[in-house]
Amino acid sequence: MSEKLTAPLPPLPPAKQWLPPVVIAWLVPGGGHFYLKRYYRGAILGGCTTILFLLGLLMRGYLFEPMTGDLLTTIIYVGGAIADRATGLLYILARIFGYNAPDVAGHSVDYGTKFMVIAGLFNILAMVDAFEIASGRKD
Amino acid sequence: MKMTLTHFEATLILAIFISAVLAVVTKKTDEERFRYGMRSLGWFAVTVFGLGWLMYLGHR
Repeated sequence: MSEKLTAPLPPLPPAKQWLPPVVIAWLVPGGGHFYLKRYYRGAILGGCTTILFLLGLLMRGYLFEPMTGDLLTTIIYVGGAIADRATGLLYILARIFGYNAPDVAGHSVDYGTKFMVIAGLFNILAMVDAFEIASGRKD
Repeated sequence: MKMTLTHFEATLILAIFISAVLAVVTKKTDEERFRYGMRSLGWFAVTVFGLGWLMYLGHR
């Protein structure tokens, strides 16, 4: 049986060092990396998140509202709502401009819904990446 | 205006973006990112074709 040796993580730096890039990364996809002067990563992460969210809007995808019920409904609707809101200003602007597509059956709408959820997951990855860079855990 | 994509177009777009983001986030050098991204995209494409044919043959 092999044992995997892992180096201990460095201590967490003060919040003022990592909180601003994480909050900016949430609000503006890719913005946290631009704040940390990682322009190339920021452009790719922000571009992919924004394009995927806009494609989802064009396909009239459904923006989830948290809903509870049986376990599967709770996971899908609460998880979807969290992922949608993780796109930051994209979600906020879509709501401000009155975007409210209904959850109807159809493959195009389904793909649009998934595109927007995945855009949120991309932004969560970008926030974690920005946190790791800002806290010195990643180059 | 409403955009409609085929299943193949939608999954291909998704595969490209997922491959790019995972490559950028998980790999350290540009060469590693490029190789990982291409390999990931290739596996996505193979899986889509495989599952597509499987469903087609399963419904005949």
